[in-house]
Amino acid sequence: MRPLPLWLKSGRVQTGLVIIFILAVCAIFAPYLAPNDPNEQNLLSILTPPIWADGGDAMFPLGTDSLGRCVLSRLIFGARVALTVAFSASIGAMIIGAFFAHVAGYFGGWVDWLIGRVVEIWLSFPPVILSLILMVGLGTGLRNVVLAIVLVDWTRFCRVLRSEVIVLRRRDYVSAAQLVGFSHWRTITREILPGTLPLLITLMSLEMGVAIIVEAILSFVGMSVGSETAAWGQMIADARQNIYDAPFNLIAPIFAIFFAVFGFNILGDGLRRTLDTRLTQTERT
Amino acid sequence: MAIPSANNPILSAKNLCVESLGGKESFPVLTDLNFSLEPGKILGLVGESGAGKSMIGRTISQYLPNGFSVTKGTLAFDGEDLVTMAAERRRNLLGRDIAFIPQEPLSGLNPVLTVGQQMKEHLLRIGLAAGENWRERALKEFEAVHLPHGAALLEKYPHQLSGGMCQRILIAMAFASRPRLLIADEPTTALDVTIQARIVKLIAEMQKRDGTAVIFITHDLRLASQISDEIMVLYAGRPAERGPAKQLFSAPAHPYTRCLQLANPNISGPRRGLFILPERMPGLRVLKELKGCRFASRCPNAIEACTETEPPLADIGPNHIAACIRTEKTPDIVPPPLAPGREIASTRIHLNGEKLTKAYTTAWSPFAKRSAFKAVNSVDFTLGEGEFVGIVGESGSGKSSLARLVVGLDTPTDGRITLAGRDVTANGRSEKAYRRQYIQMVFQDPQSALNPRRRIGSIVTQANEASGLHTGARERMDRAAELLKEIGLPPDAAMRFPSQLSGGQKQRVNIARALCTLPRILVADEIVSGLDVSVQAQLLDLLLKLRDEHGFSMLFISHDLSVVRYLCDRVLVMYRGEVVENGETETVFADPRHPYTRSLLAAVPPDDVNTEWSPVAAEAGYQIE
Amino acid sequence: MRMFATIAKLLVKRVLTAIPILLIVSALLFCILRILPVDPAAMSLPPNATVQEVEAMRAEMGLNLPLYQQYGIWLNKLFHGDIGRSIHFRQDVTSLIGSTLPATIELAVIAMGVATVFGLAGGLFLFYVRGTRAEAAMDFLSILLLSLPEFLWSLFLLLIFGVFFEVLPFTGRLSPGFERPVVTGFLLLDSLITGKIPTFLNALEHMILPCLALGIALSPSLMRVLRSSLLDAYQDDYIQQARLRGLSEKRILIRHGLKNAILPTLSLMGVQFGFLFGGTLLVEIIYSYPGMGNLMVDAIRNADLPIIQGAGLTYCIAVLVISIVVDSLYLILNPKLRVR
Repeated sequence: MRPLPLWLKSGRVQTGLVIIFILAVCAIFAPYLAPNDPNEQNLLSILTPPIWADGGDAMFPLGTDSLGRCVLSRLIFGARVALTVAFSASIGAMIIGAFFAHVAGYFGGWVDWLIGRVVEIWLSFPPVILSLILMVGLGTGLRNVVLAIVLVDWTRFCRVLRSEVIVLRRRDYVSAAQLVGFSHWRTITREILPGTLPLLITLMSLEMGVAIIVEAILSFVGMSVGSETAAWGQMIADARQNIYDAPFNLIAPIFAIFFAVFGFNILGDGLRRTLDTRLTQTERT
Repeated sequence: MAIPSANNPILSAKNLCVESLGGKESFPVLTDLNFSLEPGKILGLVGESGAGKSMIGRTISQYLPNGFSVTKGTLAFDGEDLVTMAAERRRNLLGRDIAFIPQEPLSGLNPVLTVGQQMKEHLLRIGLAAGENWRERALKEFEAVHLPHGAALLEKYPHQLSGGMCQRILIAMAFASRPRLLIADEPTTALDVTIQARIVKLIAEMQKRDGTAVIFITHDLRLASQISDEIMVLYAGRPAERGPAKQLFSAPAHPYTRCLQLANPNISGPRRGLFILPERMPGLRVLKELKGCRFASRCPNAIEACTETEPPLADIGPNHIAACIRTEKTPDIVPPPLAPGREIASTRIHLNGEKLTKAYTTAWSPFAKRSAFKAVNSVDFTLGEGEFVGIVGESGSGKSSLARLVVGLDTPTDGRITLAGRDVTANGRSEKAYRRQYIQMVFQDPQSALNPRRRIGSIVTQANEASGLHTGARERMDRAAELLKEIGLPPDAAMRFPSQLSGGQKQRVNIARALCTLPRILVADEIVSGLDVSVQAQLLDLLLKLRDEHGFSMLFISHDLSVVRYLCDRVLVMYRGEVVENGETETVFADPRHPYTRSLLAAVPPDDVNTEWSPVAAEAGYQIE
Repeated sequence: MRMFATIAKLLVKRVLTAIPILLIVSALLFCILRILPVDPAAMSLPPNATVQEVEAMRAEMGLNLPLYQQYGIWLNKLFHGDIGRSIHFRQDVTSLIGSTLPATIELAVIAMGVATVFGLAGGLFLFYVRGTRAEAAMDFLSILLLSLPEFLWSLFLLLIFGVFFEVLPFTGRLSPGFERPVVTGFLLLDSLITGKIPTFLNALEHMILPCLALGIALSPSLMRVLRSSLLDAYQDDYIQQARLRGLSEKRILIRHGLKNAILPTLSLMGVQFGFLFGGTLLVEIIYSYPGMGNLMVDAIRNADLPIIQGAGLTYCIAVLVISIVVDSLYLILNPKLRVR
């Protein structure tokens, strides 16, 4: 058997992958795992506490919310929204960001100048505000949430990757590739991209955590998926109304978000260390 | 000349051993080091990289890298053991009685503090005389190291100064406390040759003034023999030979010293061949298992007895010892005869540059005016069939920029380049394709020139990947095997990554890649700089061998005059973007016309240790800094 | 003197480049919100308005003009300090923003202070434990902290200190019964000016949780950057050289290490503090803090376009101001940029 690659040996990477795996299982098999229909309202048993507290009901292991919906089932179904957004938004942002980063860093000159100014304009908006405004323009819905996050966060990739591309661009092996007759496209994909890939993967992992947070924020203010879909941010917003009666309803989704974000962050950190990418200043901006 | 040994030594090492911990094992880094240094003397420590010479300086300061520790022996400063001394006491000695001069002057000063702030910090720590102002004192110290405009200098930040000036400031700081011991670790390696000569002279001057004992660490035996009283040659963490500088240099007793000397091309007298030391110094892991002489596997004089027990350091003359059991055979080591000069097949000019000019501009912005800087200014040159032409000059002379113009990485702003009869100045798509058939480049830094994520086999045959040249994987593997054989690497190297190769091996791969399409012209930019002398000799030998096989011509860029003299038929001397002298190598070196060429030549330490080295005097006619 | 000249030069340059950025941002804001499926004319009329009335309103609001002309008119008004009237609050947007902005600025500035203190102290601590057994644990902890964004911190602190222990207030800016002094609009400042110390203390109490939530959420990334920049600096020759001159470790850290490591940390702070303004929005909602964030979210829920545009632009200006301030600081501390 071949030995594990170095990055898989890292405890951090393993921890992250296990967490993501658990979440993915929850998301994929949600209908089989969830004890109840996440949207079914049991008006007879609203705000029941979790099973271990006094008055807990075995039917609702983590209790119910103000409409009598099962908290555990909503958490499990909420993982679907979170992971869908995490994966599709980070892939989308990565593709756009990486494309412009490579073009800007490789060609330099006015192309670089122009892309640099566009990124600067983007960065003059706090991301939360920009995504809110975009959601106002686009309207709610899962696809629009993903689109909004992609449109906001591609600059994270672009900024960090661009400086990496510039470093690699100056390497002699890039000149050597040009001298043997590589086209620009081939030079970028064969010589530069393999060098930026570790950084790209690391950033992707961190971006997934960011996307989960942004989705939670958007659904918290009611600007994400519609109310018929269970989402963690919505659960927080609902639970906030009954903070004294059912604090656990608030703690559960907070923990879920934290768990997911931590999984992606620890994976990102493990990858950063083992893939030897330098990510100092712009780590998580 | 005998060195009096009755004096109290300022520094003495007894059976000093340093080991490094790797995993659970420990490996010997320095083994049984014995020496003593008297006040006012200079000890030259010579060896190739990995010999452990820098470790001695670190052991003195006791700032050893992680996992390294002194396991045996003592290192006494003025009778007190530095190893067992309380840390606070040792720190007190540093900067006051023991001073250091670093290898990289530019990074040796804090970039966010002015020279004055750093000078003040140091002067206040070492203490000023009563009523003395730090500023006056600083100016005095600057004057002593011949730094002009001291007052203005105090306000400057390091990035505003040249490397030579920074090194002078660091020397002024080091000597400000009138230290009793100075450790200079390769203080001139990062500097240009002409500056190097002045800095070495300055250290000697200051040392004489204060009667300081100096440990001068260098890889350059010739330089060490010029400045030192005594030389210790280290091989793989153990002294190979120690003796009075002149005696050691003119009659080396240890075969390694002799080989090292003969591996370096000479700068004066008739050209001689280079002695090629095979392979390289054994690594720490190998050393641990090794029973006999550490040098035996590479030694031309080795006999079976050499591999059985480690030879002791035996007396072979007054104050002269060597760790070899066959020292009497050492003078028998002679360089191979010089390869006969190749007959230049035809005089048809291959490559021709006329009034080549390249101006670099600042980054593009629609608002700011782009300022230009002429890196290459109106340069004319020719390169004939089979000819090796050297381009020498110091950093900033434009020699690398010229190389980039020749190979087509940059387009000249002015002038004309013709290649095998066709004008390729425009450097468009078709010119590039045309140029590709004739020219390839070997890059300076193998670290940067080899993509760390490609395998060696894929790197050397990279040209096959380019558009229009697609070949099958099978053919590529065969070609890679051929190329690796030609450059002297084992066939299994094809599957390795660059990080698994040594510096010299990487440079061979670098050459192989350029040779893949059998170009008629090679452009080599500083390809042997930063390599050990023995590796350098191996590569120079390889280049000559390849020329015999393939008959290419070469533009060889280097700052090392002796290497250029060994390799090149003609030489161009560049200074600030212009060619100041141009001619047959032998003629130019024997009778330099331009004052800059003269100062470059004078800056090289002479081959004969008895010849007076007077670089500063020769420079007087041409101000460099 | 020369330093002031270079800083002045930077300020002028930055303000000049900020103008086109703001123009483009305002145009983007204008366009994004124009593609909305809501009709501002219909919204500013009672629901029983006739089609003719709506058409008349559209004409009056200039909505049948081409988009660029509409933008021109809007921009022209903007220059005269008129961002329009809120459809929902039926008030001038300028005065709405004017009354909520100071609260947000107070929150953001204090949170920046908290973040700086925690970030620097934590970074030094992380650096201090380098190479020890505690390092891995501390590093792990910093990633844990990094995974809690400000809005989770807000809820978390609210639950602990507000709900379980009931030691700190968590709604609004003042407890009922306190009167709000108005001089400058900055509550803390105003209560001090007017000498109402109890009001000041009460307001301060209300700020503890939101400021802590924002500041703590921001500090882990600062810690990690400071730590890694210190580690980088300690790789450099000048640190080794300072040691070889016999300087004490403490002196090396403060005078040589920190002075260099603070530069990358500062440039991160520039970006982060800009984003912190986005973070205030969530914190304000959670703590019912009457700042711009609450105004903005109300506007979004009611599709109140003039406020969204006005507030969006204000956030953008805030980010630019912060980045200019941080850049000037960077210039003061980095001689490589200041003198050539």
